[in-house]
This record gives sequence, C-alpha cells and structure tokens, in this order.
Amino acid sequence: MSDPRTHSHVPPPFTPLGRRQFLGRATTGIGVVALASLLSGEGWAAPRRTAVGGRAGALEHLDFAPKAKRVIYLFQSGGPSHLDLFDYKPGLEKLNGQELPDSVRKGQRLTGMTADQKTKPMAASIFRFAQHGQSGACVSELLPHTARIVDEIALVRTMTTTAINHDPAVTFCQTGAEQPGRPTLGAWLSYGLGTANQDLPAFVVLTSGQVGQNLHTRYWESGFLPTVHQGIQFRAQGDPVLFLSNPKGMAPAMRRSILDSIRALNEMKHEAIGDPEIATRIEQYEMAFRMQTSVPELMDLSHEPDSTFALYGPDARTPGTFAANCLLARRLAERDVRFVQLYHRDWDHHGGLPANIRRQCAQTDQASAALVLDLKQRGLLDDTVVIWGGEFGRTVYSQGNLTKTDYGRDHHGRCYSQWMAGGGFKPGLVYGETDDFGYNIVRNPVPVHDFHATLLRLLGVEHTHLTYRFQGRDFRLTDIAGEVMPALLA
Amino acid sequence: MQGFRWGIAGALLLVVAVAKAAPPAAAPSGGPGRFARVVRPLLVAKCFACHADNVALSGLRLDSRAGMLKGGQRGAAINPGHPETSLLLRAVRHEGALKMPPEGRLSAAEIAALTEWIRTGAAWDGAPVGDGRLWALAPLTRPAPPEVRTRGWVRTPVDNFVLARLERERLRPAPYADRRTLIRRVTFDLTGLPPTPEEVDAFLADRAPGAWERVVDRLFADPHYGERMAQHWLDLARYADSDGYHDDTTRLMWRYRDYVIGAFNRNKPFDQFTIEQLAGDLLPNATVEQRTASAFNRCGPTTSEGGAVPEEVLARYASERANTAGQVWLGLTVQCAECHDHKYDPITTRDYYQLTAFFNQVPEQALYRGTDAPPTLLIATPEQQKLLDEHTAQITALEEEIKAEGGVAGTGAMVSPEEKARREARTKRLNDLKAARTRIDREARLRVMADVPERRPTHILLRGDYRNKGAEVQPGTPSVLGAPAAGGPANRLSLAKWLVNSGNPLPARVTVNRFWQMLFGAGLSRSSDDLGMRGEKPSHPELLDYLGSDFIANHWDVKRLLRSIVLSATYQQSSRTTAALRVRDPQNRLLARGPRFRLPAEFIRDNALAIAGLLDRARAPGGPSVKPYQPGDLWRELSAGDDAGKSYIQDHGPDLYRRGLYTFWKRSILYPSFAVFDAPKREVCAGQRPITNTPLQAFATLNDVTYVEAARVFAARIIQQGGVGFGPRLDYAYRVVLARPPNAREQDVMERLFRQARERYGADPAAAKELLTAGEAPQVTDLDLPEHSAWTCVANALLNLDETVTKE
Repeated sequence: MSDPRTHSHVPPPFTPLGRRQFLGRATTGIGVVALASLLSGEGWAAPRRTAVGGRAGALEHLDFAPKAKRVIYLFQSGGPSHLDLFDYKPGLEKLNGQELPDSVRKGQRLTGMTADQKTKPMAASIFRFAQHGQSGACVSELLPHTARIVDEIALVRTMTTTAINHDPAVTFCQTGAEQPGRPTLGAWLSYGLGTANQDLPAFVVLTSGQVGQNLHTRYWESGFLPTVHQGIQFRAQGDPVLFLSNPKGMAPAMRRSILDSIRALNEMKHEAIGDPEIATRIEQYEMAFRMQTSVPELMDLSHEPDSTFALYGPDARTPGTFAANCLLARRLAERDVRFVQLYHRDWDHHGGLPANIRRQCAQTDQASAALVLDLKQRGLLDDTVVIWGGEFGRTVYSQGNLTKTDYGRDHHGRCYSQWMAGGGFKPGLVYGETDDFGYNIVRNPVPVHDFHATLLRLLGVEHTHLTYRFQGRDFRLTDIAGEVMPALLA
Repeated sequence: MQGFRWGIAGALLLVVAVAKAAPPAAAPSGGPGRFARVVRPLLVAKCFACHADNVALSGLRLDSRAGMLKGGQRGAAINPGHPETSLLLRAVRHEGALKMPPEGRLSAAEIAALTEWIRTGAAWDGAPVGDGRLWALAPLTRPAPPEVRTRGWVRTPVDNFVLARLERERLRPAPYADRRTLIRRVTFDLTGLPPTPEEVDAFLADRAPGAWERVVDRLFADPHYGERMAQHWLDLARYADSDGYHDDTTRLMWRYRDYVIGAFNRNKPFDQFTIEQLAGDLLPNATVEQRTASAFNRCGPTTSEGGAVPEEVLARYASERANTAGQVWLGLTVQCAECHDHKYDPITTRDYYQLTAFFNQVPEQALYRGTDAPPTLLIATPEQQKLLDEHTAQITALEEEIKAEGGVAGTGAMVSPEEKARREARTKRLNDLKAARTRIDREARLRVMADVPERRPTHILLRGDYRNKGAEVQPGTPSVLGAPAAGGPANRLSLAKWLVNSGNPLPARVTVNRFWQMLFGAGLSRSSDDLGMRGEKPSHPELLDYLGSDFIANHWDVKRLLRSIVLSATYQQSSRTTAALRVRDPQNRLLARGPRFRLPAEFIRDNALAIAGLLDRARAPGGPSVKPYQPGDLWRELSAGDDAGKSYIQDHGPDLYRRGLYTFWKRSILYPSFAVFDAPKREVCAGQRPITNTPLQAFATLNDVTYVEAARVFAARIIQQGGVGFGPRLDYAYRVVLARPPNAREQDVMERLFRQARERYGADPAAAKELLTAGEAPQVTDLDLPEHSAWTCVANALLNLDETVTKE
C-alpha cells in the first residue's frame, strides 16, 4: 500500500513480507509466478511469513507443533436440542409434565418468549437413546449415522454460552463477542495463519436449509481485520462465487486477452510510479483468473464415484443441500483451504419439535458422519478438525403445550452439546456432565472462549498471541478469557 | 472503524477472568493522585503493551494491583512497602538478568516515582485522570505558521507547517502534479466523480492566474459535493436502510441521508450540524429539518428478535448512541469504559454512564422493526398527504354512517340478509381503509429523537451488565473534559452545545483530522477514530492545531476548511516519488508527495457510470434508496420468512444509474459490489475504511453486469463521439476515463486487444450480440457489431486499470 489506511497506527499486519519480496521482482513481470515458489514449503517453527504458499499469515511463528492444519465447522443454526440428541436424561420420563423446580432454574433469565409462560412443564425426550461404540456414548435414535462414529468424535455435553437469542449467540460463537464488529473465527485463521492454497480463498462459506433464522454475512466477515480475510460464500445457484463467470458473449480466450492487456498496462504504470499497490493488483487479477478455473472444478461433483454418494447419501447429488456441502467441504479440505464454514438452518424448534428435529436429522446425520469417515479414509482427518454444533441448546421445559407426542423447547444457553472430530481432538471422548434436567452444568463446563482457545492450540497457536490492534486495543478471538482444555486433546 | 461495546458476554467473562486472577484488593491509602498522575501513565506507556489484559507475557499482568501482587512466572512483581524486594523495581533498575522495559531503560525520575509509589504502599487509585499527557486533550493552540526557507513554494499556511518539517528532515517536496492529474484528483475529492473531458480542457486552457481556485470553487458549488461529503458522514452516522439485527427489516431513513447532503451543500456550519443531529428535536420551535437531523441517533441497529430481553436491548441502544457520539465528536473509545475504567484514557465508568444518561430517555419500545418505530415524524410528500387525506375522509364518512345506524342496530331489530351482508362488507372496507392509511402513514414517517417528559434514572451498570445496577448517575460529560455551562436542563441539547462551545479541543481536532484523511487517505493522526493514549500522535501536531483553531475561528465553515487544504501546494504535489523516498517514508507521513489511493466503493461504481454516460445526473440529490442490479436473489438465500425486504426487487430505468450513496444499504447482506470494495455494513460507526486489494474486486469490475453494461454503452459513445479511426477513438476514451491521452506503448497494447477482439467477434456475431445486450440500457443497434464488441472489450479493460480505480 502506498498509504496504508489501516484502522490503527500499526502497519497493516496483513501486508506480509511476501509482498515485499514480490515487489523486488514485480517490475520484471515474473513476480507473480515467482511468488508461489518463493513462499512454498511449510514447517513448524520456521519463520511463518515465508513458510506458507499462497499468502503468509501474520503470525511470525507458531507456538506449538500444530496438530491441525484446517477446520470444517458444521454449524447447526437455530440451536439443536441437546436433550433430544446427545444429552440423555432418563430421570425425566418420570418427571414428564411436572413443573420445572425453582431450585433448578435458580432465577436464571429466560428469553422473552417463555419468561411469562405460566407453567413450565418438563418434557422428556420422546426419542430413544442407546449407548454406542467403545466409548459407550449415548446418542439418540435420531442420529443413527453419528452413533456409528462415536469412537471418532469428542462429544462435549457441557458447552455453555452467555447469550440466549440467535443473533447475539451466533455472533458470539463466531467472534467471541455478542456485539457485531469483531472478526470471525475463519477470518482470524486467515489472518494469523494465511493460506496454503493460492487458487482458492482461505475461508469458504457454504449454506443450506431454506428457512429458519436469518444468516447475516456478519457471521463470516472480517470485522476490523482487512476484508481479504472475510469468508467467501460459494453458492449453489448462479455463480458459485459472485461475478465469477465472464459476461455472456465473452469467451475465456477473449477474457484472457483482456486480462493480458490490463496486466501489460498496469505493469507500465507500476514501472512509472513504483506504487506497490499496483503490483498487488496485478497479482489479484491473476488469482481471479485462476479462480475461474479452480472454483468450477471444485464445485463439479460429476467425477465423484457412486460410492461417494452412497456414503454421503442421495441428497449429496443436489446442490445446496447439507450433504452436498459436506462433500464440498471434503473437496475444499483436499485443496488445503484453511477454514470451511457450513451453515445449516432451521434448528429453532420452539414448537412441534419432534417432527422438526426428525427432518433436520434426516438432512444432516448421514452426511456429517460421512464427512468424518471420508476424511479418515483419505488420511485427512489427522490434520483436519470437524466441528458439529449450534449456538445454544434448548430448555427442558416445554414451550407451549406438552402432549404425549409433541412439545417445543425454548433457547437454552447454560449447556448444550457439540462434537469435534480429528485434528488432535480426543476420539471417543464424552466430556462434561449436566444435571438430571439437562439445565445446569455439574462438571467440566466448556465456555465458548475455552473452546476457541483449545481449537487454536490444535492449530499451533497460543490464543493470547493472535491479536490485532484496533482503536488502541489488542483484540483477540478469546477476548479477555479463554483457557485451553487439555482434557479434550488426544 | 467499528466502535465496540463490551456486551453482557464480555461483562460476564470479565467477571470470570477477574475472579481467576483474584479480585482487586481495596486500595490502601496514601499518595493520593500520584498514582493517577505519574505511575499509571508510566505503566500504560512502558508496560501495558506486554503485561496487560490481552497479552500477559510470562503470565504477568501489571494492569491491576492484584495482578502485580500475583505476579507472573517469576513471582510477585511488587512487595508493597518494600521497594528493595520488589521484582518490578529490580527489573527496571537493571539489577539482575531481567531488564525491563526491553526497548530502553526508564529515566531516573521514573524509577524514583515507581520506588516511592511502592514504598508508600502501592495504592491503586483505579480511576485514571487527565494528566496532560494525552496530546489530544491539550488546549487547542493557534500556532503561527513557521518560517520556511523555500518561501516560493508556499500557497497556504498549510504549506508552512509541512515544508518546515520537510526542511528539518532535509527533504524536498515533490513537484506539482500536472494539471490533468490535479483536476481529476480534486474532482474525485470534492464530488466523488471524474472530471469531464470538457472540464479538463477548460482547466488546461485557463492560463490566467486563479485557474485552480476557479476549478475548486466550481466544485464546491456543485450539488455533487454534498453527495460526496455525505458518503463519508453516513459511515460515521452508521446510516442504513435496514434494522441490522435479527431479521433485518427494511426501515425508511433516507430523509436523514438527504438532510446530510443538503447540510453539506448549503455549507451548514459544523457546530450547527452537530447540534441539529444530536439534539435537533430539543431546539426551541424545532423545524422539520432540525427534527429530521435528530434521526442521527435513530440510525443505530435495532432488534425485534422475539426472545430478546427488553431491558437489555434498551441498555444496548443507549450505549450504542453514547459510543457513536464519543467516536464521532470526541474521537475517543469511550465504549472501553462500559465495563471498567478505561485502561488507557481518562474516562471512568462513571463518566461513561453519565454520557449514556443523555441517550436513554427515548420513548421507544425495546423491540421494534422497520417503519413501525415511534417516536417518528410524519414527513409526507404531497402525494402521500393527498392519499392520507382521502383515506381519512372516507374513513370518517363510513364511521359516521355506522354511527348514524347505531340506534337501529342497537334495538336488535331484524335486518335482512342483504342488509347484513352490506354491513359486513362495509366493516371490511373500513378496516381495509384503516390498514391502508396506516401503511401510507408509516411510509411517510422517519424515526426521530425525543425525550420522555419525566427523566428516567440512570445507573452505572457493573461490568456492563444490565442486571447489575450500581450507583445512580446524572447526565454529564467526561470529567476530564469539563462540564457543560450551568443553567438549563442537562440533556442532549446541553451536551451538543458543550461539544462545540466549551473550548473542548476534541471536536475540532477530530473533525479536521477526518477531513484531512478524506483528502490524503490518512489523517495527520492516522488513528482517526482513536485520539486517545493508544492512538497515534499526529505527524504535524501544530498543523492540526492550526487547522482546528482556524476552523472554529471561522465559525466551523467546512468548505473554507477544505478549500484551505486543496489550495495548498502540499495537496497539489505529484504522488510520484523516488524509490529512496518510498523506502524512507513508505506511508507518506512527511507529506513529501501527493496522495495516491484506491477510490471508495461507491465512487468506483459512480466513476464507471459517469464514464459510460449512464449516471443519472438529471435528478436533484436525494430520494428513496434504490436497488440496482444484483445477481440472483441473494436476500432470499440468506433471509428468513416472507416479510417485505426479504426478496430483492430490482429497480429499473434511471434508478439503476443513481450514485452509489443512494443504493439500498442492507446491513445483513450488503450490496455485493460495495462489500468487496471495503464498504462497511454500518452496524457500528466507522470513521475509517480499510483499503484492500482482492481477487473478488477484479470479478466485480470485470464481470458484474453494472460494469459490462457500462463498457458496452461507453463503447458506443467512443464510436459515436470519438471521431474516426482507432487512434482518435482511443484518445477520446483515455481522456474520458483518465483525463489524459494514451502514450504510444499504451496505444500499442490497446490496439492489439482491439484487433484481436474485432477479429473474434467478426467470426462470432452471436457472441457479439450477447455481449452487447448486457444490462437494461437501450441497445445501440446501428453500429457495426464486431467494432462495437471490440470497443466494449477495450472499455472493459480500461474500467479495470489500476489508474482508473485510483485517485492519484
């Protein structure tokens, strides 16, 4: 940048050494090509800025030997019911219909939707639970495929969040703060670790589910970090990346000729002016051109064998489904994309929970398990973290009428369930214990910030070292909290 | 860019964190004031970078007494009363292997102060106070422009300050930029648009003295000036067309946007502009315009999320307003004091809640959405008023009719089935009319400010938690900045007047710095949203003070201020520089060259539309926000439900070609071609936009139909108005796009492209036809297809040049 207009007075950390190295060669016109080879090779404790192909990260070096290189986050938007999926409470069957004791709620706040509901009858899950695998993890009948991978996953039943409504809770899960404005997890990783793939963005977002809560692009944006770190949505309809395709009537060869002209003219300008920003722009246009090939190639599932679709389920043939997105996530992991964020909507079951959750599980169970198995058989699970979870759990008491076959559940942030697989999380772990009502945590809480700190540790990063100065303060993903949870690590 | 509050999450977690680190002990007595005046600033300046909340190297935190007592890996940092056994002192005295701070030894006086503080018990007063060390709080001076050796270079006093510094550094300013560069630069800076070839030629031809002044004054008189200034101000005002939180419903705030445009165009003095926006509703006999201005405080995000807790939401709204005012007019991160006293700046938590007490008096519901959002102001257009009147008349007539029949109906007398049906239809019609009237009424309403008649109490919220109330506070300004004049109620009006009348140096410094940033890409202090202890000291402090005091002395005249800068030799320097100077001063802090940086998002689009001749220049500034081309239905992909505003209904005709600042600003899904060029979502106040450089930007200007249409329309213009033959036409194209002719090498490149394209499209007329139908602008059918297509390719290349999207 000729005039770095950063948010703070600190030189922009995203302007890596790589750019300066690039500049030394850019005037000759070979810089763009040279960049890749210059910055190839990865290694722990090697100077980070020269250690990554594509784009170097801001961290000079890693604090720990990284177990994981990339993350796939299967976000279940709306708040899946832990009580109907992972946190079995047999005692509730006897208490079904009884009022939630005050001794359990302890005056904790409720959302505006049930705070004034006259009775709060407890609702036992109508779904059967059984233990599975060597770990003996208890999983609901709604998740037969997940039940088969319990020995691959670390199941945490004591995630806890401070938020009780969707917008702040999702924002908190993604940024470590309930208020808008901070960078998301994927943006932090793009910023801190850079990317090893120079043909695809470091942070890719895939969405599925047609209704439910709004998805704000804030959930994958870069906050006060430079925009280059924001998540890029790959869409199932139209251009997979906005404006990726050439205009109608412009063949690829014509586009290349135009790009060659732009490049020649920009190089002349760079020779005359020497502004490094021009060299960067030349580089970005070249990456755009490469993406015109790499993105469609990525999205094209036609060469996947039938066995793939047998594994992920028939939905995987339909673009825009959760199953298709899981398959894309695996393809992105194969291409070393740093962070893949899936959003699947419509887990917000205030009423009619049994029917709704059945549908949600049918859409997600097989493909989630398939992704883990597929990564494993390809040798990618060792250094890829897969996360499955939403922004909070749901209340033990029924929102609205409780009948023998039907109930609803309100938002519940005190505890909820989430699982992780691969990348150094402990396989076969069942962690944390909630009370007999699935309301409060009895043992081993995992606050969101602690989870973030633990995730960063697996990526080789001490969470307090990944900071960015904005308006005078060194911000970090874990805000002022965060403790690594050794018990979750393999 | 974004202001920050510590929400409940942060608050609760802070409690956790503090609990882990043992709560701060009650401060022992002794040495009142010394800690705040001397010791704390020393710790902030020398220690906090490594030993405060976020970064606690060696596990050591020095930002609380408890942290010092707990110490780090080497044990306790202090032993109160015993300097000789305090590790902190051994480290700063370099007595052992541990020598701190690493960047250099403290002065003897500083070490003595620390020693004395520990000897007397290491009292931690907690509250920081203004100690005169924060440059931005020092009284605004009016320094005399310094003497310089090269007097001939000086055009305005700005140059004395800049040149004096350069001469001290033994540097020379860059030569003047050529006239073509200059007029392009200043036209972008003052109107956000490129100059026309005619304007360029007129300036080149004007050899009389004062030619530059004539250009500048013409631009100040151009209504596009107000639009340009509004583009910047709307980021600060976090203006948007949707609610922001949760389902992000459409709201109607554009009348406030138009107020801002009008205020800049009429050169409303900045102090008045300030007062109207913060308290227009409280002015005596407030006009519609003044009440419209007060919508500034209703621009923040609001929520209608069903489960939200009203008390929490209202506390958030009040904080959001206080944070925004603090950032816009004080340039301070007041929001840091929401949970604890500010760690670096002299703002206490009490100060913070005193400030919010001005903003939590609004008679608003907590949960509301869209246009149903009292308090509002009815500002009906004549058409809307006519419709409202008609509806009211019909409703009144029907109601009277029903009333007149009331007696009959009341007797329980039999009515015929026909009569019953008639009455039911009438009731339905009445209800429909009422619903329609409500709808029209709401579409004519603007969210504005008001205060409740009886002041609500305000409490300090401990750790920022709305459930945890501390002492009650009265409305008040940060104590370090002095109080408003006595007399009259303490309300937003007294706050606003205090900002611009009290000698408080911040509003002028902050504002002048931001305008400088607008022109030079970076402020004199580059941390323009944070002039606090952690912000950057200005590169030219006397110049900032000079401009600030001059601004006030001249009644906050914005055009005069900007004029004094753009007429300077400093502003008119070439942005070219030598490799040596680029190494010496990569960020141009010394101002030995002119600014060169990429245009803001809206101007990149405006520029393309202006080049093509598509820009809607006919309409006066203002009007409802518009929805230009957007691929697919991005809104529906991510939004929920079926409410209006969930589906993007694109506009047609001239609305496709309005300037970017009129584009519908949906916070949850920003207009994609702006989002990629770093436009903020405006969820929070943003005084600085980053300038990034990404492949997605290339996609937008290469392939977005906006730019392809601009290219094909511009191509027709080149053929029709550029004369005959490739050379003259390319010359014309360059003059329109870059305000200069191409050089020979450039012409070679473009000619090669042109011939390739003409050959290809000559062989593929179907492709040519497709290319030439991009967008909804009328197609030009009387041109040679390959020729038109080839020029479209050249135009597409031109619109994507670095120089095209850059102000230089």
